[in-house]
Amino acid sequence: MNEILKAEAITKTYGARGAKQYQALKGIYFSLQKGEFVGIMGASGSGKTTLLNILSTLDVPTSGKVVINQHDLSSLNKKQLADFRGREIGFIFQDFNLLENLTNRENIALPLALQNVKAAEINEKVNAIAKRLGIDSILTKYPAEISGGQKQRVAAARALVHNPAILFGDEPTGALDSTAATELLTTMEKLNQEDQVTILMVTHDPYSASYAQRILFIKDGKIGRELEKGQASRADFYQEIIGELGRN
Amino acid sequence: MLWKLSLTGIKSRRRDYAVLFSGLMLAAAIFYMFMTLAINPAFLKGALTISFSITKYVFIVGIILLSIITLVYIVYDNSFLLSMRKKDYGLYLMLGARTSKIGELIFAETLLVGFLATILGSILGIGLAQLVSKLLINQLGLQIHKFVGFYLPALLWTIVFFLALFFLAALWNRHKLVKSQVIDLLHEQQRPVNLRFHPVWKTIEAVLGIVLLAVGYWAMWNYKQLMTNSLWIGLITIVAGTYFTFDSLFSIVIRLLRRNQKFANRRLHSFTLGQLQFRLGAYTRILSVVSLLFALALGAITVGLNFHSLTDQAMESTYYDVVIYKHSPKVDRQLKHVSVRKTQNLNYKLVGTGKWQIIYVSEPQIAKEKLKYQHFYQKDGQAAYSTRTITPENIRKADEGYMQLSMLMPYPSAQIKLVSAKQYQNIKAKEQKTDFLLVNNFRQNFNQIEKLQHLAVKQIMDGPKVESSDITINLNNSKSAQYRLIASVASGFEFMGFFLGLAFLAMLASTLMFKVLSGAESDKLRYQMLAKIGAQVSWLKQAVRVEIGTLFALPAVLGIVDVLFGLQFFKSMLKNPYDRLWIPFTLFLVIYLLYYLLTVKMYEQLVLKNQH
Repeated sequence: MNEILKAEAITKTYGARGAKQYQALKGIYFSLQKGEFVGIMGASGSGKTTLLNILSTLDVPTSGKVVINQHDLSSLNKKQLADFRGREIGFIFQDFNLLENLTNRENIALPLALQNVKAAEINEKVNAIAKRLGIDSILTKYPAEISGGQKQRVAAARALVHNPAILFGDEPTGALDSTAATELLTTMEKLNQEDQVTILMVTHDPYSASYAQRILFIKDGKIGRELEKGQASRADFYQEIIGELGRN
Repeated sequence: MLWKLSLTGIKSRRRDYAVLFSGLMLAAAIFYMFMTLAINPAFLKGALTISFSITKYVFIVGIILLSIITLVYIVYDNSFLLSMRKKDYGLYLMLGARTSKIGELIFAETLLVGFLATILGSILGIGLAQLVSKLLINQLGLQIHKFVGFYLPALLWTIVFFLALFFLAALWNRHKLVKSQVIDLLHEQQRPVNLRFHPVWKTIEAVLGIVLLAVGYWAMWNYKQLMTNSLWIGLITIVAGTYFTFDSLFSIVIRLLRRNQKFANRRLHSFTLGQLQFRLGAYTRILSVVSLLFALALGAITVGLNFHSLTDQAMESTYYDVVIYKHSPKVDRQLKHVSVRKTQNLNYKLVGTGKWQIIYVSEPQIAKEKLKYQHFYQKDGQAAYSTRTITPENIRKADEGYMQLSMLMPYPSAQIKLVSAKQYQNIKAKEQKTDFLLVNNFRQNFNQIEKLQHLAVKQIMDGPKVESSDITINLNNSKSAQYRLIASVASGFEFMGFFLGLAFLAMLASTLMFKVLSGAESDKLRYQMLAKIGAQVSWLKQAVRVEIGTLFALPAVLGIVDVLFGLQFFKSMLKNPYDRLWIPFTLFLVIYLLYYLLTVKMYEQLVLKNQH
């Protein structure tokens, strides 16, 4: 198997030593294979955002080890981390985080521009991903001129344009209406199945989570249960998730 | 409860408030300093005995300009304050605070901040006035006396003026907040910006802007033909042209750069260009104002420093640096402190007393010695001098050369007679001698030279009674006296130009700084996002430097061009307004650069806080 991400004994403690401390993560272990679509669920304050920040190199763990695509994150310095993020990681945020001063095309091109990819190649890649996500007609517009669903597609295109090893989603459907949310999730599912994009998505919405193949439930800073979709239909898996949430 | 919340809000943003507060304090301090100079008679009379009334008028113009700038400055400073507080106030409103209560809160806060800043600023101004005047007087070798930093009327004026301004600002803030919708307050930063662009209109505007600027510059260049008309034409066309240029030309250039895929797709270029285009839309007015202020400030310093050249004229009007009528141990001792380049002398014999005095000089000596004087004439309406030699012929004809020689002698009313060497020897009178000196480094050694000239005059005036009774020497004709006279007038102008220039500069640069900083709040998210998708901190810093650098550079470039043309106006007053241009320009640009660096640093602190 091709392991894309491995988390080992990750802890995160807030507050200075000696002062009042709060442990958000209390030892997280899990791994992600290439081409997997995994959801992380948990209540508010369970530590899921902290975990995502650590996995996506935005934050550093107090102890423990994260390996992504054979790179041990703790061995990278600040500059290398930024580079690593630029090459290996794609992000989709709840509130899109598009730059409203740039056209959608420029927004999508940004990760490639950061890596100094040649202009012609950038154009080619932007066009390709835009076509794949069905947003090629709005590339010259500004984010303020398109709908929320379209914005999230632009954000997804930006997250994927540089062909990252893993795509992180932080409540990607949180700001979308149900139609737009379904569209986005279908797209993510398709990217996962057809292009083998590895996806790790944090959500508290069981409907979104049901698109994943596997779900990790995080509670009080630890991973509790794990659900596998296996051969079940999405509707059944959804029921299973609801059931699991109900047990807590 | 709300008051407590408000205070906590201020406390949590104390760094931002410190920036704001220091800006306001500086404005008050500058205003106070200028007021003391403008209305303190001790300074004016001490510095400018001669053109007191004219200078007062100039100072009043200065006060008006400074007031306008202060007003603009406070408007921007105030918008920075408001931008910081909007979200908090929106939150209070959402939690159910009454609008009137919030209005009261913002009113009190603005007024309180303003009041404290004014008081502290005035105190700072008193100290600064003392310090700056001392520094300037020493550095520039200005001739100013009797200047004390504290002057009550100036203090009162400053306080009244600033409190009035802050009262208006407080009313304005209250009005703005009360009228706003809660939702707008909370989401102020996410409001979409109009980024549409009408290429045809913009092109027309850009062409219009350039044409207007060209007309303005042409008018200033042809000052001689257009006279005062050029002032009006220049004022209108340059103000409008500057505005149009900022509103269109620069956005067109940025658009073209954005279209250039190769350029735009490098690292953060597209981001910087996007930011700039967006900013230029919102910055048109302030950039125009800053560019014009920049021109005014730089112009004031340039012209002010150029007044120094008046002393060149003073020095040109007299040929000999020092005239010594009689040697004495005291004079000779002082002579050692002066580096003499050349000495010429004239022997003479004085006969008779009172009206019948005759000075006999020998023709061969006059012919040989070739004493010089400065001939005055007008060239292009300006005073000019040429050096001429005193010849025996001059004395025979009793023309200009004769008059000049007579003025150099300690008996100006005596008649000068030219005689042959033999006749001269036969005249039975004591031979006397006058020395005419040319010295090295007149300016640098001015104090020693002046002292020597004083001693030389004193020596002969205080001589034995009989001898001195007919002596009249007008010390004012000496070069050192001329120099001191002109220098005192020039210093006044120089001081004012310098001071106004620096004050304007401080204001305009801080205005720009606050405008940039008030946008930092909404830029924070953008920079965080860029960091998340893999931008190095060093690239982000680079982007900040380029973005702010462009905003600082554009008005500076236009301002410099304005000054280069504007100096034409002063051609009638100053010999060469373009003389030693690099001194004020360098000084000015260095200070401007410091403001730029400070802005970058503070902006980084606000925007990249989490990335550090």
